[in-house]
This record gives sequence, structure tokens and C-alpha cells, in this order.
Amino acid sequence: MSSGERKELADRELPDAQSRIKLFETVAMATIVAVVASVVLYPLYFLLQASFDVGLPDVRPPTAYGTANYAKVFDYPQIIWNTLVVTFVSTVMALLFGFVSAWVLTRTNVPFKRTLDQLMTVPYYVTPLLGALAWSFLGAPESGFVNQIWRKLGFAGHLIDITSPMGIAWVMALFEGSVAYVMISAVMQSMDPALEEASQVMGASRWRTMWRVTLPLVAPGVLGAAIFVFAEMLGSFSVALVLGTPARFYVITTAIYHFVSQYPPRIPLAAAMGVSLFFVMVMMLWLYRWVTTRKSYVTVSGKAFRPRVIDMGRLRWALFALVAFYVAMSALLPVATLVFAAVQKLAVAFPAASNFTFDNFRQALSINAVRTAMWNSLALAFVTATIGVLVTGLLSWIILRSKLPGRGALEYLAMFPQAVPRLVFAFGMMWAWLVFPLPVYGTFWVLLIAYLTVFMPLGLRTISGVVLQLDRSLDECGQVCGASWGYRMRTITIPLLRPGLLAAWLLIFVASVRELGASILLMGSDSKVMTPAIVEAWFSSSSELTAAMALIQTAVIATTMVVFGLFTRRIAHHGAAAQ
Amino acid sequence: MSSPQATPAIEVEDLSIRYGNVTAVETVSFAVEAGRQLTLLGPSGCGKTSTLRAVAGLETPTSGRIKIGGRLIYDSKARLNVPAEQRGMSMVFQSYAIWPHMTVFDNVAYGLRVRKESGVALREKVDYALGLVQMRPFADRNASALSGGQQQRVALARAVAFSPSVLLFDEPLSNLDAKLRSEMRIELRELQRRLGVTSLYVTHDLEEALAMSDHIVVMRSGVIEQSGTPGEIYDYPRTSFVADFVGSANLISGMVVGHNAAGQTVTLETSDGQKIHGITRGRTVHGKGTLSLRTVHLKLAKDRAPASQNVWPVTVVRSIFLGDIKQVHVQWGTQELVVRQISTDGIAAGDEAYLFADPMHCILLEQ
Repeated sequence: MSSGERKELADRELPDAQSRIKLFETVAMATIVAVVASVVLYPLYFLLQASFDVGLPDVRPPTAYGTANYAKVFDYPQIIWNTLVVTFVSTVMALLFGFVSAWVLTRTNVPFKRTLDQLMTVPYYVTPLLGALAWSFLGAPESGFVNQIWRKLGFAGHLIDITSPMGIAWVMALFEGSVAYVMISAVMQSMDPALEEASQVMGASRWRTMWRVTLPLVAPGVLGAAIFVFAEMLGSFSVALVLGTPARFYVITTAIYHFVSQYPPRIPLAAAMGVSLFFVMVMMLWLYRWVTTRKSYVTVSGKAFRPRVIDMGRLRWALFALVAFYVAMSALLPVATLVFAAVQKLAVAFPAASNFTFDNFRQALSINAVRTAMWNSLALAFVTATIGVLVTGLLSWIILRSKLPGRGALEYLAMFPQAVPRLVFAFGMMWAWLVFPLPVYGTFWVLLIAYLTVFMPLGLRTISGVVLQLDRSLDECGQVCGASWGYRMRTITIPLLRPGLLAAWLLIFVASVRELGASILLMGSDSKVMTPAIVEAWFSSSSELTAAMALIQTAVIATTMVVFGLFTRRIAHHGAAAQ
Repeated sequence: MSSPQATPAIEVEDLSIRYGNVTAVETVSFAVEAGRQLTLLGPSGCGKTSTLRAVAGLETPTSGRIKIGGRLIYDSKARLNVPAEQRGMSMVFQSYAIWPHMTVFDNVAYGLRVRKESGVALREKVDYALGLVQMRPFADRNASALSGGQQQRVALARAVAFSPSVLLFDEPLSNLDAKLRSEMRIELRELQRRLGVTSLYVTHDLEEALAMSDHIVVMRSGVIEQSGTPGEIYDYPRTSFVADFVGSANLISGMVVGHNAAGQTVTLETSDGQKIHGITRGRTVHGKGTLSLRTVHLKLAKDRAPASQNVWPVTVVRSIFLGDIKQVHVQWGTQELVVRQISTDGIAAGDEAYLFADPMHCILLEQ
């Protein structure tokens, strides 16, 4: 038989049953891709359309198209300049925080290493919004506690101004420093110490080794972290909103929000800004992927090594103080400040018994709007997390375990929202749902769809991490043993995926409760949620009440995490006992 | 020798597996008799694992037929492909695939529970299976707390617990260290014999294949190079690939200067004028030929062997001590030959000696 004949035979012999299954799979896959594509791309389409709308105002669809809106973006050079300054300065600071702490905690014999490592992730949970509120109490030029003390000491004016560009960059850097730390320490941990040892054995001094081996090896990873952090800073919203807008200092995200929410709104201009920002972020993330996959030498193996630890002698206590200082500035001090402010009638630096009150908490809990917003947030987050885990679990299984055509495109689509700042994405959604025939705009439905879409990458990444670690043969073995798909799911796949599914649930839940950028544009008067309500209170009622509200939200999240932790541990115990 | 059953337990006919444009397996056919063990042997990427997975039902072939115990389970022409879970086979995976969230007992009981076994019967069968691999004391241990060798044993117990008629092995010993591997080799063989279960075994390890199999199929680039008993494969390699892959062999090429079809003998003359006699094993003789000489079949001595054929004076190039045996490299004309023998009579590098190769061990290869 010639190979040509054989090929022909193979083409002819495709079984019927198989082709029917293939057809079903293709249809199912096409449906899933279409749904994901529509929730991701439909808003972006409307955003794009609005950005090119140069026709009559308030007429949809647009009566004329053009690029004038993009040209108009350059009529606001101050906004572009502000954005670049804040982003650049905060990125440099965040990387410095991250790099120094990563180096100290992976490569030196700093005391209390494990505790510090855990504390380094706390700022991520404190959130930039909380940090901005707290630092506003601390560093506002007139009323800031630090400046009050400064004047009390006999100086004039103010020591720090947190509402200045540098102040805003400082607060942003404090919270992104935690992200930079996680990324850079992962790079440092994945470096094989034998590479350095080889250099030393060949006679290179410690400094030469550091200069010629260590730094070149970690450089691509650090560069990757730099690009990632820069992109995050470009899209960040809450810090500039809280600290910048009262003094009319705008960066691109707050400018977009301003143009959308002012009266009359300037939708086309805001859309052009949003699309430009989105475009820059996509470029950055593309660059990030390129740097980390093409240029990285160390993260390829994915193996964790035990890095060589340098004995720092007495200096190790200084290093400890350095890392502890970062944790204090980004986590402990902000929370303490909010607590201090929330128990005062008028927040001042010097406590007085007459100024002490619990009224702020009482008020926060008694205002109907606040209570409703809190419950709305919790209910919405619960539903989002539950549906989100099911959807992203299914998606990651399809992407990583099926052989269906189009799974690559599906992954790309599902991870796409990561490149869009949530505020910009919500803007597109708002504009899209306004003309949608179903009356979902201004209801919980639109918030739910928005949350599910913007947190899809988060869930997907978390669950995929666990799926990737699962050996394929664990499932295949069940299959050969004679177990059906459902039986295997129940006895093998779901139990093994449980840690990943639970982690994804909790992450999506917490992220949803804290969500600001998307909610602030999409919530209606009957669908208030907590975080935008906190921002609203900051601008329209007392800051002490706001501090109380923010603390209540933090306490609710912390309680949820603790309860969840106990609950899942009990499941784990129960599971182990049952076996 | 008559087999207990008329029909072979596993039959694979014209199996082809293609991934896009890449052909992993091309028209492979073989059969395993009931109660016997057949090994697919070959280097990585030769298609042996794809073939095994196709038999298991974990891989969908492009064309061909697979029968288990006379029952058709895959037939591209009849458009039949029984899913893996309905084929009633069992398999030991390379990574063991021990479920870390279950105890040893639950791992072994899995296949029985799938078959609705419960209570005392279940406990007895799991107990028996664990006893076979000496893992009974570990029944309540968490599976994640086992060593590699213990996981291997549990994987084996799990595979045999529900008395499958066919057992598949995908390089089950490749993750064990050398000493444990050679112990498990014998244990596996004993177990397979005792249970009389038909086995299809995949490995790239020659010793494993020779020690465990009733029949070996050597594969290369998706096609079968040679099929036969371990003895046949070792003594009479069909191609230079098999001669080289299955143990160490010297290959000597030259022009055919003598050929006796009836006596099945052949004489080659190498380019540097050395003459060597060998046997054809019924293989077609062309103008040129290559003989395979196993390194252990060559004899090196100080004195000339009394034989009339295939005795040559040689110079020893180097002698290497390998423990059980010594490996000696000799200059034979312009070619360097390798000899492995237990004792070298004190022959050292630079010495002159005599090399003898029994023509019965000089095997003509197919080109």
C-alpha cells in the first residue's frame, strides 16, 4: 500500500459516531466562544464606536464618524503629563519596594523571614482605596495628622502633601509594591543556586558573580514585573480619585470618569481616552508576555530552588527594619489611622476625651442606604463568586484538558479583560447596555455581568494553576478502571481541584465586594453597592463617617475570610476522616 | 505449544495513529496470547506508548482494528470505538497516578467500587491485592505519604484488584532507582505469571523487556522493526537498529564473496581485506551485506583458537574494567571491535592476541 492510498483510506474511514460527537463538540465550543466573545467584545465595540462618533451629540447610532475625538485628547496635555508623571514615579517606587524586600527575604538571613513574607501580602488586602483614605487623614496639607504635628513642633506650612502628584504616586506605590514583591521574589526563588556556585568555583569574586551572573539572570524577570506594574498603575483609579480630584488634579482614568459623569457628559472624548488607554495597556501586556516568555532564563523550569542565603551579620536587623517599615507604611499605619479617625467627632492628631465617639459606626450601621449597599455587595459577590467558579472552572478545563479546536482563541478572549481597566470596561458596558433591548441597565444584572467578565481572568488563572499541576493520568486511570465521566468527576477531578476552586471562589468574592471602577459607573439608584458608596460618602459627607464605613467593609471581608477558612478546613478534615 | 485459548487475548491489526501531519504509528499489527506478556520496546518517540494508549482507549487511532478476547473494541471501518471505561482493562501508569486525596485502601478499591462491589467481598479483594504486593500494613495510610516504590506497588495492586483480563503497563518502572527497578522487574514477572493475566508492556529498557516478556515487538519511528521471543530478538537481530538497540553489537559490513543457500552461510570481505563467515538466517543475500556480532559472543585469547574460520590476530587498544565483566577494544583491520568477557587472561592494552567469532553468532542483517 502506498502512502497516498493509506492517506485516502484514513480520510474515508472517519467513523460516523465519532463525527457526530465531533459535530456536537464543535457546536458546544462555538456557543461557549460566542458567549465569552460577546460579553468581552460587545462593550468594547460600543466604546470604539463612541470614540469615533463625531456626529450630532446624543444621537445613537452616530450620524458621522471621524478621528476628531482622538485629536481632542491632545487638547489636555496636562492630563497626559500628570498620568505619565504619577505612573512613572509610582512604578519606580513600587519596584524599589518590591525588589529590596524580595532580595532581603530570599537572599539574606533577615530575622523573622516567614512572618515578614506573610506580612508583605497584607497591603494587597488593605487595598489602595483604604490606603488613600488613610493617607489623606495623615498627609492632607492642612488637616493631615503629620502636618498638625509638624506645626505643633513650631514649623510653618506642611511637611508632606499627599494630594500632590508625588503624594499620589507614594500611596499607589505602597500598594503595588506588594505585587512587585510577589513577582520579583518568585523570579529570585526560581534561580538555580548552582549557577552562582559555578561562577564562584571558577574563581569569580562574590561581586563579579553578582554582576555577571545573578543580575543578568534576574533582569528579565524584574523587567517583566516593571512592565506589569507600569500597566497596572496606568489603569489605576481609586487613589487618584480620592486624593487628586478635590484639588482638580486629574490622571487619565479620573478624567474619563469626570467626562462621563459630569453634566452634560462628554462621551466621545471620554471614549477616545478610554480606547487610547486600553491600546497602551494591551501593548504593555503584550510586551510583558514577550519579555517573560522570550527573554527569561530562570522562570522556565518553574522549579523552586533553595536560594543561597548571605549572612548579613548585624546588618540583618537593619534590613528587618527596612522591610518592617514598608509593611508599617502600607498596612499597619493606614488601618490604625482609620480606626483613630473613626472614633473621633472631628479627626485631629491629638486625641481628647471630649472628641471621642462611637457615633460614626452607629451612624454608618443605621443609615439605610449604607446597610442596603453592604447587603447588596455581599449578595452580589456571593452570586458572582459562585457562578464565576463554575464558569471559569469549565473554561479552564476546556482550555487545558480538551482537544477542542478554538480553545486557544477562547483562552485569549477570556484573559482579555485583564488588559482593560475596569473603569474603561464598565464605561463600554454602560454605553452598550443603554441601547440593549432588555431593561438591564441600572439593575443588578448589569453589575453581575460586569463582575463576571472583569474577574474572569482572576478565576481562570487561579483554577488553571491547579489544573496544570494535576497529572492527566489521574483521570485516565479512573477511566481505564471503568469509571464513567460523572463518576470520575465526583471521585477524582472535583476533590483534587477543590483547593483551587475554593481559592478562586474566595478571591472573586473579595474582589467583588471591593470593586470600585466598574461599579461606580454601572450601579443605579436601586442597585447601590458598598465601595462606590464609601467614595460618595468621602466626597459628600464627613470623612470620619467614611472611615467608619471603610472599616466596617474591611471587617466584613476579614470575617468572611476567617469563616471561609474555618469552613473549608472543616470540609478538609471531614473529607479526610470519611476516607 | 498450544495456548489455553484459541483466540489471542489482544489483537492489533494495521493500527495507524496520526496527529495532524505527524504519523506516530503506522500500520502496526501484533497479537498477544492469553496469559502471556508482550512488550513493545523502542526508543522514546517510536510510537510504543501511543499504541498502548490506543489499546487502552485513551487515544483515538486513525485507522485499524483492535480486539480484546475476540471482542472488537476499535474498528475504523465499522466505525466502532468502545470508550476506555467500557473496555474492561486495567493499566499501570508511568507516573503511577496514585490519587493523593485517598488512602491506599480507597485507591485499590476504586475499580471494585466502580463495579458495585462492597462490604466483605470488597475488603477481601482489596486485602488480597495488597497482599500480592506486600502492602497490606499500609492500607489505611494516606496515599500522598508513600515513597516511589510503595506508590508503584499500590498502583500495581489497584490495577489487578478487580481481576481484569488484560493488564497494560506504560513504562511502570522508569521512575524507580536502578536497584529497586531490578527487584520490581522480577516481582512483576512473577505476579503476571501467577495471575495468568494477559499483559501488554511498554518500555525503552532492554533488560526489562528481555527479563519479563514472552514476546517482544521492537518499534522504531512508528513501525515494527522486529517481532519475536526475547531469545530470537537478542540472538538474531533483523536490522542494524535492532542489533544496536537490543544490547551491544559490532556491525561489520563488506562485499559478499561466498554464499551457500542450502547451508545458509555467507562470507563477507571488508574494504580492508578481512574475511568473515556468518549465517543468513534465511535472509536475502545481496552484493553487499552487514553482519552483527554481539560483544559477548566474541572470544579474545592469548592463544590461537583451534577453529578453522573467523580467527584473527588483533591488537588490544584498551581494556576497561566494568565489575562483573571486562570490556576490551581491539583493532581489527581498520575497524575497532568491542569484546565483553568475564576474564581477559591478563591481556592489557598494546598486547597482541587472537580474536575468534563463531560463525553461528555472526548474523546477516536485512538491509
